[in-house]
Amino acid sequence: MNEITRRRLFKAGAALPLALHALHCRAEDKPKSKQAPRRFMFICNSLGFYRPNFLPKTRGDLSTSRYLKDLSTQEKLTVFENFFHPGMETSNHDSEKSFLTGAPKPEAPNFANSISLDQLIASKVGRETRFSSLPLSIYDRGWGCSWNDRGVAIPPMSDPSQIFDMLFGAEDLSVKRNQIREDQEVLRCLHRDLQQLKDAGGDGAKIASYENVIVEFEKQLSHQEFWLNAKKPEVDNTLSNDVEFEFSTKVKNLLELAKLAFQTDSTRVITFSMDWIYGAIRVPGATGGWHTLSHHGGNQEKLAKLCQIESNIMLHLNDFLSELDSIEEGGGSLLDNTTVVIGSNFGDSSNHTCNNLPLIVAGGGFRHQQHVIFPKPTHLCNLWLELLLRSNLDIDSFGSSEANMGLLS
Amino acid sequence: MAALAIPRLGQWLMLRFQPFIPIFVLVSLPGGLLRSSTRADEHQQLFQTFCIDCHQGAEAESNLDLSELLSQSEFDAEVVFENLATQKMPPAEAKQPNSKERLAMLDWLAKRHASSQSPQFRRMSRHEFVHSINDLLGTELDLADRIPEDRGTYDFDSDRRIKLSPQMLGSYFGVAQEILDRALPEQGFAREQRWVTNKLMDSHKTYNIYVRDYKDGLLFSWTRANNGNSYSFFYDNFDPPVSGWYELTFEAAKVGDLAGDVSIQVHSGKYYYADDRPQPQRLLDVLSVGSDSLQKYSTRVFLNPGENVSVHCFSDENFRKKDPQKGAYIRQLEVRGPLQDAWPPSRYRALFGELPVRTEGDVSEGKLAVEIQRSQSTNDLRYISNLRRIGGTTTVSSAQAGMEKERLQDGSNLTFWHTRFKPTLAEPPHYVILENPTKHEIEGLSYAAWSGGNGNGLVQQYEIYFSEDGTSWVGPIVSGELETRLANEQPIRFPRSTKSRFIKFLITESFSIDGRSLASIGKLDVMVNFEEASISRSKVIVDSRDAEHLKQVIRRFAERAFVSELTEADLSPYYDAAINTLNAHDDFVQAAKVGFKAVLCSHRFLMAPGEHSSAALAQKATLARTLWLSIPDDDLRASERSLADQIDRMLQDDRAERMLHSFCDQWLNLRSWNRVSPSLKLYPRYDDLLDYYLPLETKAYLGHLIRENMPASHLIDSDYSFLNQRLAKHYELDDLQGQQLRKVSFPGEVQRGGLLTMGSILKVTTDGFDTSPILRGAWISKNIVGTPVSPPPASVKAIEPEHGSESDSLREQIESHKNNETCYACHKSIDPYGFALENFDATGQWRSQYRVEKPHQGTFTFRRQGYYRLAGKVDAAGEINGQPFLDVSGLKEILQSKHRNIAYNFVKKFFQYATGSKPTMQQRVEMLSRIHRTQGENRTKDLVVLALTLALEQSGFRQ
Repeated sequence: MNEITRRRLFKAGAALPLALHALHCRAEDKPKSKQAPRRFMFICNSLGFYRPNFLPKTRGDLSTSRYLKDLSTQEKLTVFENFFHPGMETSNHDSEKSFLTGAPKPEAPNFANSISLDQLIASKVGRETRFSSLPLSIYDRGWGCSWNDRGVAIPPMSDPSQIFDMLFGAEDLSVKRNQIREDQEVLRCLHRDLQQLKDAGGDGAKIASYENVIVEFEKQLSHQEFWLNAKKPEVDNTLSNDVEFEFSTKVKNLLELAKLAFQTDSTRVITFSMDWIYGAIRVPGATGGWHTLSHHGGNQEKLAKLCQIESNIMLHLNDFLSELDSIEEGGGSLLDNTTVVIGSNFGDSSNHTCNNLPLIVAGGGFRHQQHVIFPKPTHLCNLWLELLLRSNLDIDSFGSSEANMGLLS
Repeated sequence: MAALAIPRLGQWLMLRFQPFIPIFVLVSLPGGLLRSSTRADEHQQLFQTFCIDCHQGAEAESNLDLSELLSQSEFDAEVVFENLATQKMPPAEAKQPNSKERLAMLDWLAKRHASSQSPQFRRMSRHEFVHSINDLLGTELDLADRIPEDRGTYDFDSDRRIKLSPQMLGSYFGVAQEILDRALPEQGFAREQRWVTNKLMDSHKTYNIYVRDYKDGLLFSWTRANNGNSYSFFYDNFDPPVSGWYELTFEAAKVGDLAGDVSIQVHSGKYYYADDRPQPQRLLDVLSVGSDSLQKYSTRVFLNPGENVSVHCFSDENFRKKDPQKGAYIRQLEVRGPLQDAWPPSRYRALFGELPVRTEGDVSEGKLAVEIQRSQSTNDLRYISNLRRIGGTTTVSSAQAGMEKERLQDGSNLTFWHTRFKPTLAEPPHYVILENPTKHEIEGLSYAAWSGGNGNGLVQQYEIYFSEDGTSWVGPIVSGELETRLANEQPIRFPRSTKSRFIKFLITESFSIDGRSLASIGKLDVMVNFEEASISRSKVIVDSRDAEHLKQVIRRFAERAFVSELTEADLSPYYDAAINTLNAHDDFVQAAKVGFKAVLCSHRFLMAPGEHSSAALAQKATLARTLWLSIPDDDLRASERSLADQIDRMLQDDRAERMLHSFCDQWLNLRSWNRVSPSLKLYPRYDDLLDYYLPLETKAYLGHLIRENMPASHLIDSDYSFLNQRLAKHYELDDLQGQQLRKVSFPGEVQRGGLLTMGSILKVTTDGFDTSPILRGAWISKNIVGTPVSPPPASVKAIEPEHGSESDSLREQIESHKNNETCYACHKSIDPYGFALENFDATGQWRSQYRVEKPHQGTFTFRRQGYYRLAGKVDAAGEINGQPFLDVSGLKEILQSKHRNIAYNFVKKFFQYATGSKPTMQQRVEMLSRIHRTQGENRTKDLVVLALTLALEQSGFRQ
């Protein structure tokens, strides 16, 4: 099934130019040899993974992990052991809020979060694409992995058809276009007034400083205007509408949308909060309350069901990774240009402990080492910092980071 | 030797000496002073007498060779100036200049102070921007959060070194547009409605320990989640149709024998099914319920669509004690809104003057029609199932007496339907048929198991069939398994929604203790999507197409916003922006909005503070910006009152609250309030309510000092504060009833009073676990005493002092730097302030012993007694600048003896808050000369007036 649906993506075929590419072509007649954009995907499975099934039993040998042994992109990923965020001792489920921010004590009554690393990356690369970032979640609860610079949650989207529509559906542009026209009217007015003040001998430095700002802002407006003119990519709707396994379908569809969004360069930063609610979910082979099962306490019956759910998630993640890897781009694959982080805020959700977090980094064109075990607990923010530095952000620390450990090369 | 430095201190200590802004102010010094400062050699003589002895040559104290420095015509005089001004120098044991001599020396230094060029202008801060627009448009929209914080590491929002960026301008454009659209909506105003509800969102029914049906409503007994957070309970039947102001009225009473009031914390947020993970919610208000009889408690709040109202009812006495007989009884919540101040809203008159305004839509008697919307009558506020709302009914295969089918639909899973087992056992099949006579679209079923029984009859597997006639069935449409141990609702979604008349829920497998064929269900209801009735709106139309009218409207608005008188030429670009839009769209209000937006995004507005058409207007603009964070109103603009009267009137106005809020945030660093979260293990009693009231105490106190012109010494010490029930508990005072803040006197033995011993200050100067004498000391040194602190040298190795460390006491760790001269030079005048406050923990409670955290096992579960053991005794003694003290009251005495420095620092901070720049040396000389020598004579409002007077002279002279 993979081979057929995944290849026939574009109605216009693989030659459909990337929208961004078109933007550059406008400025220069000849397109340069194109450098594939770098992308990021962060997935937080908020109930974690059952550790004995997740971690390789033999150091460095992924085939000794029940969950990882079937991953077809093993060469392009690294499993890290012994990452943690400090300050999560009493956080329980609230630790989820800090997965991508590292802010301590998210359970405190007056907790204020800080910016998440995906949003920092988006602040750097977001203007290159129609959507600066795309936060996703399974359920509609108003928050997920992404937090803005004021520590406010960016509500993720959870309805696949709505997301598909936003990414690829036709839209009524007249309101937005009108707004931009009005703003340009305002800017013309301000330019004229500044000229008046200049002619009247006003404070030159002050006028110049404001003028610079509005010129920059005008550029922003034309960027927005450009994206209104740029047609959205045309994409076949490949979403599944299987209702028997609603949960499983949701995960699969959201990952499919992430792939389409990357492939069409609609965005370069995606987060996916794999959230849970009360109530039974169904995956092939098991029905049960995911949260209830996560508190397995070692009970074999519960564990069997939980592992069915987790295996199902791993199956979708494997499909996602291998599909990214099957799409050619810039001399490599889409996966080579996309750093995919799969992890959780819980090391062991049965006990609500937040040490030894499951964490996989896949793709991104790194020379992967498959399995890295830190001799002692290591701040996850060190990895976040490294990813930020690799995105050319000019910072020297992030959250609880201590150093750039150079884990990826 | 390891020197002491805490990396986190970096930002606190980064008060670098900044070059001063050259502002040519003609400061008139008090009589006598100028006369004595005529000849340069006289001053040389003064410095010779008092300073040079120690400060000269290669062996000079602190490596400061004054004889060399003073011989230059221009030099950086800041350190010398401040040390001399605050009487740090000459040292106490040396010969002192008299006050005239000191002022003369300062004046001489001021004239030689070298300063580099800094920006002459300041931009408007985001708070000033939003408040000004609200005042211009008659709106109340708190959208400052939409604009990024651009303060960086500077203390004051007004800082002139902050530059406007394109991103900021972009957000100013966006916010201006949003406020304009809400003030003058093109699609009209949503009509006011009324909702009444006493029903909670579904899943809460399972928390029956905490909230239960009671009389006509609900009794909220106690709530505290197992990880220490508050559970709040979401009301059903009200979802704000549009963003706007709503009035919430709770009809509530206190139930049971509880000392003090019960607080209803009113939140808004998004309801979410897994509600033991508290969702981000906004605390809107706290209502204090003190009466046993039902009373109405109202609050006016801003809500957005999708934000449901929830409550958390809290009483300290009932806190985490599972007593379902006590708490807050809320009979009902009534909501009214969105509210308008008049119809049509009064801003139309303010913005469009006498132009004819008419309304379109359903309007009666000049008022926006009020529509009462409720799904229930007042007499029947009981639970109504979805099935009943669509007119449906149920049929069951059989029922045991007392466990009839009605119990499926009563909103509770404690009551349940059960198949018949007495006198005879009902044979399978067991099923429930739901009838949908109105052919409503049904998306699925919502099932919840019977909770709290022995498990008999719990459904394990089911099948669902549809039928049009109740006899021939299609299906199974869906089949599946259900969780038996889950109390919450389990949704069963149909592949596609159905309008079938009959839906059969067939139980194919159920649990039974003894093997009999049984079935039971707690709740079974249909899932339907109630179409939101489209919001009815009424439009307000300004009846004009006349470009001249448009010009008048733009002129009036621009003159208010720019605080200037403007020529036709000045305004012509703004006119044209509006007129072009009028020509293009033929909509007067739309055109006016484009003109307004141009005004609001103009450099004349954003960059103009201080630049106006006359000195008189410039002064009023400065006053309004400083005291109200806004533009002058008509009264201020027309006022010819004296400056002091004017300031007095402005301080009494409600808008001055904005200044108090901002000034506390910036001067006292209360803006970092939420960055510090007290540990639940060490401080289990720290809750939302305390977190809410602690900063309010400080704002109320500072407001009182300024408005009532209380002695400035009250900044350091007084015998009163502004407290309520929760704060009195926190400070271990006699019980107060009710959560209204009021002036309360402290008993003599209580070591409170003044800013330093307030919970807010004590909390914001820690990291939430341990107190840090260094952080607190640096805070006092910088903000209260006014001694700038330099960052630790880059090469020093940092030590993180910890209370938990067994080997050295914290004090020993910190005092280790005494052995290192580099560290000691600064820390000797920082740390002792902090040691004096060691009797107060990280939440500001009094302590005589430290607490050390203990680990917890597995999942963290909140405990009232926390997880800690008591460790070493607190020693709050110390010595600052040679003066010893035993505890905080000793420190307060020492600070009071330097009351002029405290007052001087306060004036400087307020000046900096107002102008965005430090006072020049000349302005400092002026400040010092006006600060009294007698402690009681320096009064807080007078000091504010002094700072403002100097700020106004500065803006006046820039014309």
